[in-house]
Amino acid sequence: MPDQDPDSGASASARLCPEAEIVEGAARGFDLGEDGVDTMFVVRTGGVLRGWRNACPHIDGAPMAWRKDAYLNADGSRIVCHAHGAEFLPETGLCVSGPCLGRSLTSVPLTLGVDGFVLAEPRK
Amino acid sequence: MKIIGLDSLVFGVESVPDAARFLVDYGLTPVDITASGGRFEALDGTSIEIAHQADPRLPRPPAPGCRLRATVMGVNDTDTLAQIAAELGRDREVRKLTDGSIESVDDSGFVLRFQVTVRRPFSLAGEISNAPGSPFLRPINSLGVPPLGTIIRPRTLSHVVYFVPDVLKAEAFYVNRLGFRCTDRFTGAGPFLQPGGSLDHHTHFLIGAPPHMQGAEHFTFHFGGPSEMIANGYRFAEKGYQSFWGPGRHILGSNWFWYFNSPFGCHIEMDADMDMHDAQWKPREASLGADTSQTFLMKMRPKWSPGPGTPVNGDYA
Ligand code: FES
Ligand SMILES: [Fe+2]
Repeated sequence: MPDQDPDSGASASARLCPEAEIVEGAARGFDLGEDGVDTMFVVRTGGVLRGWRNACPHIDGAPMAWRKDAYLNADGSRIVCHAHGAEFLPETGLCVSGPCLGRSLTSVPLTLGVDGFVLAEPRK
Repeated sequence: MKIIGLDSLVFGVESVPDAARFLVDYGLTPVDITASGGRFEALDGTSIEIAHQADPRLPRPPAPGCRLRATVMGVNDTDTLAQIAAELGRDREVRKLTDGSIESVDDSGFVLRFQVTVRRPFSLAGEISNAPGSPFLRPINSLGVPPLGTIIRPRTLSHVVYFVPDVLKAEAFYVNRLGFRCTDRFTGAGPFLQPGGSLDHHTHFLIGAPPHMQGAEHFTFHFGGPSEMIANGYRFAEKGYQSFWGPGRHILGSNWFWYFNSPFGCHIEMDADMDMHDAQWKPREASLGADTSQTFLMKMRPKWSPGPGTPVNGDYA
């Protein structure tokens, strides 16, 4: 169970999953608010894990996957908002195609716990 | 020139198996499916067609990023097809395809096809509510909630919504060239359009948007009633699909709605119980906003039930 919603402003970090469970080119969503919608998701590209809020810049806070954990295009090269098809670079979160062209996803800082769990840190 | 409505929408997708599974889970029936794509039908034979985005048989999209490659409309007979070909042929290319349909383009660049409709007439009562005093009631001993596991199928392809760069020009094309009429309008967004051979509040809705947004906004099928539509949406969400907006009920058109994200670069909707209008109807105009676009909005939550065994505070722990 997550300890904390990274958006709640509290100081504890949220435990997501073992680091090795998210393989290259895959994404995974986390419903930290436990209200049936992922609050954030994690993507691994070029070996690096990055966390993003599940909130499209096009329409305030719109959820992006088309199915549980389906945040990426078929070859894993882009994060996609499956509401209107906006595409984002997985390295920077910058929108390179679609309605919110030039705007960016909001990142969620990640750290690695001593037990190998990925932790989502509250935003400063 | 009477166009009946949408017969099919053709999409180019990244992954045929993913899109196929999505449409089957939505409730459509796969027909003639191969690894390269196929057709997914509602009860009356209207459909979504998919092919891999690189398939050379697909028409080009109106703008980069748009997965909708063609909008297919049905008409009653070949005379109407000839009339449409003559009308559009005045200022644009009209191609005759081998299956007898014709293909051209609208004033925003969306590829249009016209064909003698594939719609099969069917007779199947929709949802009837036992409202006291109503002359229309369910037969005695028939059930409002069908047995668990009853298959729910979309009935017919309902409407498509386009983002267009010049909404006045786009509307003029459908009204002046193809015989549509505006039934209602959102000021600053665009018109709801009904073709001459339909009574549905809209088969098309146009939204003015910057050129880089051009494409489909959503498409939807009519279901048999609000309970059926919401039950179908609930099952769909339980399978892991992402709700975007709904369930709720629109004001213009009165249709119940539930929108989901999709692998088609736009939303997919489920709708039920849309108003029907004829030429007597006087179009309304409303400014687009939360209060004008829905009479109420609900949000899905997991099932729970109060009773013995539930914690003191129910599901609100
Ligand atoms: S809400 Fe994400 S592209 Fe429109
Ligand atoms: Fe709609």
